[in-house]
Amino acid sequence: MKTETKSWLERNTFHHNDFWDLRKLVEEKESKGLTISLCIPTLNEEKTIGKEVLILRSELMERYGLVDEFAVIDSGSNDRTREVAAAYGADVYLAADILPEMGNKRGKGENLWKAIYQLKGDVICYVDADISNIHPRFVYGLVAPLIGCDDVKYVKAFYDRPLNYSSGLRPSGGGRVTEILIRPLFSLFYPELTNVIQPLSGEYAARREVLERIPFPIGYGVETAHLLDLYQEYGIEAFAQTDLDRRVHRNQTTNALGKMSFGILQTFLNRLKSHGRIDQLPDMDTIYRQFEVEGSNYRQLTHQVVEEERPPMIEVEAYLARRKVSK
Amino acid sequence: MKSKLTNGEETLATLLAEIPRQVERLSEVREELLANAVLLGEIPSPTFGEENRIRFVIDRFRENELVDPTIDDCGNASALLPGTEGENTILLMAHADNVFDHETNHAMCVGSDRITGPGIADNAIGLSSILTLPTLLDSLGIKLKDDLLLLANVKSLGRGNLQGAHHFLETTQRPFRAGICVEGATQGRLSYSGLGALRGEISLRIPGDYDWNRFGASGAIAHLSRLVGRIMEIPIPREPKTSVVFGGLRCGSTYNTVPKRGSLRFEITSEADTVVTDLENQVRDLSEEFPLESGTEVKLEIVARRPNCSIPFGHPLVKTTRAIMDSLDITPKVDPSTGDLNAIIQAGHPGVTLGLTTAENLRDENESILLDPLFKGLAQLISLLRSIDEGLCDA
Repeated sequence: MKTETKSWLERNTFHHNDFWDLRKLVEEKESKGLTISLCIPTLNEEKTIGKEVLILRSELMERYGLVDEFAVIDSGSNDRTREVAAAYGADVYLAADILPEMGNKRGKGENLWKAIYQLKGDVICYVDADISNIHPRFVYGLVAPLIGCDDVKYVKAFYDRPLNYSSGLRPSGGGRVTEILIRPLFSLFYPELTNVIQPLSGEYAARREVLERIPFPIGYGVETAHLLDLYQEYGIEAFAQTDLDRRVHRNQTTNALGKMSFGILQTFLNRLKSHGRIDQLPDMDTIYRQFEVEGSNYRQLTHQVVEEERPPMIEVEAYLARRKVSK
Repeated sequence: MKSKLTNGEETLATLLAEIPRQVERLSEVREELLANAVLLGEIPSPTFGEENRIRFVIDRFRENELVDPTIDDCGNASALLPGTEGENTILLMAHADNVFDHETNHAMCVGSDRITGPGIADNAIGLSSILTLPTLLDSLGIKLKDDLLLLANVKSLGRGNLQGAHHFLETTQRPFRAGICVEGATQGRLSYSGLGALRGEISLRIPGDYDWNRFGASGAIAHLSRLVGRIMEIPIPREPKTSVVFGGLRCGSTYNTVPKRGSLRFEITSEADTVVTDLENQVRDLSEEFPLESGTEVKLEIVARRPNCSIPFGHPLVKTTRAIMDSLDITPKVDPSTGDLNAIIQAGHPGVTLGLTTAENLRDENESILLDPLFKGLAQLISLLRSIDEGLCDA
């Protein structure tokens, strides 16, 4: 079991530098007859959306024909997000105008779900709108494994988190919610999924054929739901992940992360229920899995964490004798 | 009665007539230009630390399949866009360094009418125009007869003292028909002369055995203030035009600790080299006299020096540039350069410096360029290139 997961980590973990040759990538995409749509879900992102559209469109549509369609799907921003995105050539949609007969729910997942209906590509790549160091690698790093490997259906991003360590060896992983909530839950219930270094990253690309077959929570749980549903259906081999180096974005308050965790936990428990695990919990795994990285090599670190318990003191005979009391 | 136009005037009139269409077309194909400006602007590139930006430039030259993309010994990146005939070569250059250090947050903010970020005007957008020019010419259907040598020069600003430009011009074997320096700001700028300039740094230190009880004893800030006052007492001639600018004063770190060292940066510019030399000598004398009377240690270091140089106002290159600006309703602002143009003219080539657009908060971290005027600025540059190519700017 351990050997198998390690081998997935080696085979399906990439670095964006692996795909630097965009000409070659475009040739391969064209030879396979694939089309790629890029979707940026937005809500009040006027400060960063202009740069994202400008850089990604110019580099990946104008200079290299990697992306065939570029859409911004907006939740109803009340700043100039839609105007700025349109000024730089994105197709801008209001989520409420797509599939209006299905109603309009407010949340990022709603925009991602409606993108499947609105966009035409065989592959859809989702990129968050709040990346202040946007670079074409945020797209080509994610779509490249789908172009190159027919078995891969879903590619997640992971990043070098801007932490400094004095040695060359450093822990690698996700943000606070990943490390405190998701990784412990996955370690307990879905150990194989702990190989996904940043399960909550907002950038991923997937084939239409899988996206159209899974439900979309509209709120915080969308990324978790994707992982669990696709893992249940296709197993770990359907996934790949790409190191996109550094991502600079807004930092969230602890309060906001608490709200996010609450939403994710709801999704997770729903999936446990639908996967038939809530009533038949397996023996819980006691191995906690984290990552460390040295250069470009990622290794899973395992820690045995056994939460042993003591009985209530009132049940201990010696205690009863000492206190001269009975149960 | 209408006077008959010469062939040159007719050619220029034809070129000028195309400008409105070019402005419109350039605004339609702006993405690559702006994307390059943002990508360049986000790579820190302080003087003497331009390597990463130059690597980006050379990659772009290669991607655009230019001829002979090269990084020279000094760190300059250059490449050639071959002309259809290639009998002459035009030099188009932009400096790759800026005044912000590696620690500055170089994130650019792209709005619908402007881009904001450190160094976007000076000189990310200027450098981007050079990188993107082959694509822009292509989209306008323009093929130059002359070869076009594109240069991103390093070590230009401050202590760089135009090292990159001088090195390139000294080592390159090509004669240039003309040279154009491109700056992001400000549209209307027309420099055809290099202003004689000297930049210096005065370092002051309070020695360990300083007598704090002596009359007039004080810390480095007070001493530097006195020194500034003494320099300001030096008479500055009105003619030839001359100025002394104090550009930087570094001293002290807190509220209540007397600083023991500090430095003053200054620039002397004059239309007469003799005046620059005379003022330098007077500042040098002060730097030698001041420590004797104050008990401090003072050191003067000259970090940059350049002589006056110029091409005539009536040079066809200048006249044509003015005609192009006039047809674009750009009011020329004649401004002697202390930048790379000096190196071009000193090397014996005719040259001008042009600005592309309107900038705000120049050299602050919230430096901005306005996008709307940019396309006129580019049309101005492209029309000048075509005029040189047609031989309209030859003396």
